[in-house]
Amino acid sequence: MKSGLNNRYLRSALSFVVPLLLVGCIWEAVSRSGLVKPVLLPPPSVVFPRIAYLFAARTADGQSVLLKHIVTSLYRLLIGFSTGAALGVGLGLAMGSNRFIYGYFNPIISILMPVPGITWAPILVLILGFGDPTLVTVTFIASFFPVVYNTCSGARSVERDLLLAAKIMGASRSTVFFRVLLPSSAPQLITGLKLGLARGWRTLIAVEMIASALWGLGYMIFDAKEYLRTDIIYGGIIVMAVIFAVLEKTVFGYVEGKTIEKWGMASQIV
Amino acid sequence: MYEEARDSIRRFILFTLPLISLVLIWQAVCSLDLIKMLPSPLEVAKTLLRLSFQTQGGWPVLALHLSRSLLRVGAGFALAMVAGIAVGLLMGTNRYADFLLRPIFSVLLPVPTLAWVPILLIWTGTGDDTIIIAIFLGGFFSIAYNTATGVRSIDRDLILAAKTMGATRWTLFTRVLLPGSMVPVLAGLRLAVGYSWRALVGAEMLAAAGWGLGYLVFAARAFMAVNVMFAGLITIMATGYIMENLLVGSLEKRTVKKWGMIRI
Repeated sequence: MKSGLNNRYLRSALSFVVPLLLVGCIWEAVSRSGLVKPVLLPPPSVVFPRIAYLFAARTADGQSVLLKHIVTSLYRLLIGFSTGAALGVGLGLAMGSNRFIYGYFNPIISILMPVPGITWAPILVLILGFGDPTLVTVTFIASFFPVVYNTCSGARSVERDLLLAAKIMGASRSTVFFRVLLPSSAPQLITGLKLGLARGWRTLIAVEMIASALWGLGYMIFDAKEYLRTDIIYGGIIVMAVIFAVLEKTVFGYVEGKTIEKWGMASQIV
Repeated sequence: MYEEARDSIRRFILFTLPLISLVLIWQAVCSLDLIKMLPSPLEVAKTLLRLSFQTQGGWPVLALHLSRSLLRVGAGFALAMVAGIAVGLLMGTNRYADFLLRPIFSVLLPVPTLAWVPILLIWTGTGDDTIIIAIFLGGFFSIAYNTATGVRSIDRDLILAAKTMGATRWTLFTRVLLPGSMVPVLAGLRLAVGYSWRALVGAEMLAAAGWGLGYLVFAARAFMAVNVMFAGLITIMATGYIMENLLVGSLEKRTVKKWGMIRI
């Protein structure tokens, strides 16, 4: 029984790693064979040591260079996303439970939502200057819209009967809110948070390239471009892929396990 | 008929009233001078008109920026759609392709689209190529991934039934696999329209030479032309709104809603 379980984990791990190793080998072969200029496509045997080198390299104040880029980006993401998510969930639930609030904010949100967050960057640079205030504000804007949109549509799709049943049985407004409205809209709310985090992350990296601020992963790869350091760019892309995958798995894996999975509601795939 | 017209007018008014109030708040913020550099809505409207009437080579400037952006996003998205649906169907129908590609996709999905731009700038330089490839990358992964998931979720019995009754591969593809996976495919397309649009504006800021809405907004910063930036923003907003709601919405109405696969 136990070995069967181990076997299954091993198999799923292998089926994940083997194709990636295969791609790594092809990549190595292509760039070693000289089909593509090594400057354009350095092999993995150069890129991965470069990541390790960046990790080991120290800044003037003794921090790891790569870690400082990562931590700076994550810190901006944390502040931008958490404020965007808090406001998004709040407004989304308010819109979902009140017709007038919905009527007022729905047109505004549906017209502002398709504006790519990055469009605000040059404008905010003029108002707030280069650096953290601009980067965090753009991340906030980018995260806010998916969260508010999904929270609102989740709260609006709560079955009327459930709300009425709770009210008939004498539930107070706060009980209805915390015991019915919030749990029923949880799957879509979490989908919104996931999308919001992804959107905030993507936008932050992009804006770090535009509103250059000396630190951050986006700045790292855009700066590397100036010196044709493709190994740093590919390394940066790999680091970004790993960081976001880990972030999403741990944060949302935990949240979903505590809420909608425990309540037996399926989570949507995005 | 009369009722219907009155209803749609009413809905239009209810939709625009909050927007008008927003513009009024914006005007108030400007009049009180709360945010430095913020242009008033009137100035932005004037700039918008100026950009749409001022011509260069016989064409209005704004139309030139807009058409260049639309061509790029159209080309990039069309490529992403064709390649994404093809790869997705392959992954959905072929076990080996799925085994090989799925892990690669799940690793590449969380990479911000614009992170590819520095590499593309080295490969293909500034200009249309880089922007179109960035748009392609923005849309491709989500279309392929969702198509694969969609095909996988089709009831096996339907496929077997079609095969038993002698359907050719082509019939199976056009009559079972494609319509059967339409809900997730369209979800993927809808997401991809957004991704491509975002990739366009970002890539135009980083890689455009001369034309494009993203370039318009970005280049205006050098001249501190906040009016032009807001005019560009409003054009981007309107275009994005039309693409996301009318284009994808009407495609949904023609397919999955007509077939009764989703309600609302």
